[in-house]
Amino acid sequence: MMEAKRYHPLTILFDLIIQVEHLFFPALILFVFNHDSTNAFITYGRIVFYIYVGGMLAYLFLKWVSYKYRLDDTAFHLYEGIFTKTKQTVPFSKIQNVNRHTTLLHRIFKVTSIRFETGMVGDDSRVEFTVISVNEADRLEAHTKQAVRLEIEPEAEGKEGESSEEIGTLHTTPERVIHFTPTKKEIIKASFTSLSFLGMITLLIWAYFKLTEYIDVEEQVVGIYSLIMSSWIWITLTAVGLLVLSIIFGMVTTYIRYGKYEISSDHDRIYIAKGVIEETTFSIAKERVQAIKIKQSLLKRMLGLAEVKLTVVGGDSDSDKDKQDVSSLYPFLPIKRAYEMIAEILPAYEVTEKMTSLPRKSLWVRLVRSSWIWLIGTGALFYFKPNIWGWEQAWWVISIALTLIILVFEVIEFYNTRYTLNDHFIQFQTGSLTTTLYISKREKIIEVNVKRGLMQKQLGLASIKTVNRAKPVSHRGVTDVPIELAEGFYQWYMGRRKEIKVK
Amino acid sequence: MPSRISAPQKSLSKDAFKVELITEGITVIIGLVILAVLYYLDNRFAWKEWIGWCLHGLLVIGVIATIWSFVEPYFLYKSWRYDIDEDFLQMKFGVITEKHFLVPMTKIQAVSTKQGPILRKYGLYTISIKTMGSSHEIPGLPGDVASQLREQIAHYAKLKEVE
Repeated sequence: MMEAKRYHPLTILFDLIIQVEHLFFPALILFVFNHDSTNAFITYGRIVFYIYVGGMLAYLFLKWVSYKYRLDDTAFHLYEGIFTKTKQTVPFSKIQNVNRHTTLLHRIFKVTSIRFETGMVGDDSRVEFTVISVNEADRLEAHTKQAVRLEIEPEAEGKEGESSEEIGTLHTTPERVIHFTPTKKEIIKASFTSLSFLGMITLLIWAYFKLTEYIDVEEQVVGIYSLIMSSWIWITLTAVGLLVLSIIFGMVTTYIRYGKYEISSDHDRIYIAKGVIEETTFSIAKERVQAIKIKQSLLKRMLGLAEVKLTVVGGDSDSDKDKQDVSSLYPFLPIKRAYEMIAEILPAYEVTEKMTSLPRKSLWVRLVRSSWIWLIGTGALFYFKPNIWGWEQAWWVISIALTLIILVFEVIEFYNTRYTLNDHFIQFQTGSLTTTLYISKREKIIEVNVKRGLMQKQLGLASIKTVNRAKPVSHRGVTDVPIELAEGFYQWYMGRRKEIKVK
Repeated sequence: MPSRISAPQKSLSKDAFKVELITEGITVIIGLVILAVLYYLDNRFAWKEWIGWCLHGLLVIGVIATIWSFVEPYFLYKSWRYDIDEDFLQMKFGVITEKHFLVPMTKIQAVSTKQGPILRKYGLYTISIKTMGSSHEIPGLPGDVASQLREQIAHYAKLKEVE
């Protein structure tokens, strides 16, 4: 229990900085570009500007005075509104995951921001503290965890028959185990896999265009170009220089993004921390993980790397602040290590490496289905007969190319598609160039459906789909599996009635 | 499909397909009226030639859709099956593509009955079911069956799983 508290006073400053960003251009127009204008618009504009700034300052101050929060044993109580007061209660048991984001500005003031995500829909779906002292954030996080644990504990005790002493020691000193931090070698590997060295080229082009805006560098560039092309030594030197620079550039950017990655877990939670300049941490209770995705692009498949992602209910990538997916375990994990780590941090999940492939007939169904694209494409090409580089026959060449591309993609996807149904898990892999392996527990799937089209009925095939909680809701499935599997899948899902615990 | 599984048994009211037929019929008539207006305008203002071709295309699609809309309601009604027990809501329907849905009762968050003017004429209701991730409808159930089913689902759905 505690008294209702105000938010951190620095909240005003942080809000102010956002406002300054918004007002920068209007201010520039009103006071710099037109500083000695006597135009009526500018005069009135300035008056409006002053009123706005005054109002905003008053608002920010009043907001700080009147917005408060309070925690009790079970919930957050938020008091909001300056004139119209609202009170919101968010129970701890609804919290799905906790995200912390520390920007450079936060670090300067030794504060942080913390967000408690619930799975609810709408604006009230989260409890957010944009500025909060690190101590207070730690306290809040510990408090919410403790409260939820107390709720769950009596049940766990009864079910597993552990002595209460054991639970006590287990929970008061939860040992955090670090599962992964990237080594130097892994960072280097990651910098090549993510193709971040190509970033240098875009940066150079961008710099060139920025430069030409202000000064006329074209002549110098032409001069430098002819100097370089004048001898082999210069060409080699420049090429090597550029190569080294872009590799260094790639490594630095990769280090900034993925350098200080740390995946750790204790008895009941998983923690992911990352970022060298801006720090982001993410923590989730293990039983809140809805599903696991293992994603591999073509390049990652060739290098034996993979990205492991957790499907969580409280969304994470919908705000601009962290475009990077926080729920992603390290995106460049060696595949072996990825499987091991899933077993370590989520012992409730089992990844089976052996999976069943699709029967040959489903390839035919897929080809017939995608031939629609080819038909329409070829029809359009035949009708318009585009003249490419003065070449009139181009349309049928494009048509054949289209056919080949569709064919290759369908065949690759066919071979990549695999599935397996275990006791409590469903696991399937789909995708052509980038493959995704999806693993979900039966009790976490909230709905299933099976569909059969005309052709599928003829050939004894069906498409299966699972629905999982996420933001947005995640629909995942495999098309054209044998009907026997679809039946088994239906029955398997019905079996969940035995394993769910009802409140 | 489910040969080994207890397939859903309950079907919709016999009047359900009439409702569907009337609804489809109204839609078709509105569509054809719009098409006729477009043809008139095309003629009156001498629009470009390709627009005329598009209209012909639409007419062909319209005719096929009209025929289909007289056939489909009957088969859709014939194919509809649903069932509930204390754990699951099962639905199965579809003329060309056959769809099976399996929704656990504990995941259902809201259930309601609704009735439009055409449904009212036949004394029928549509049940709509919302879960955490989707929404479903069972169309065309007689009043007493619908309200009973609604109460039943609401009762079963009251239990919540430990998340």
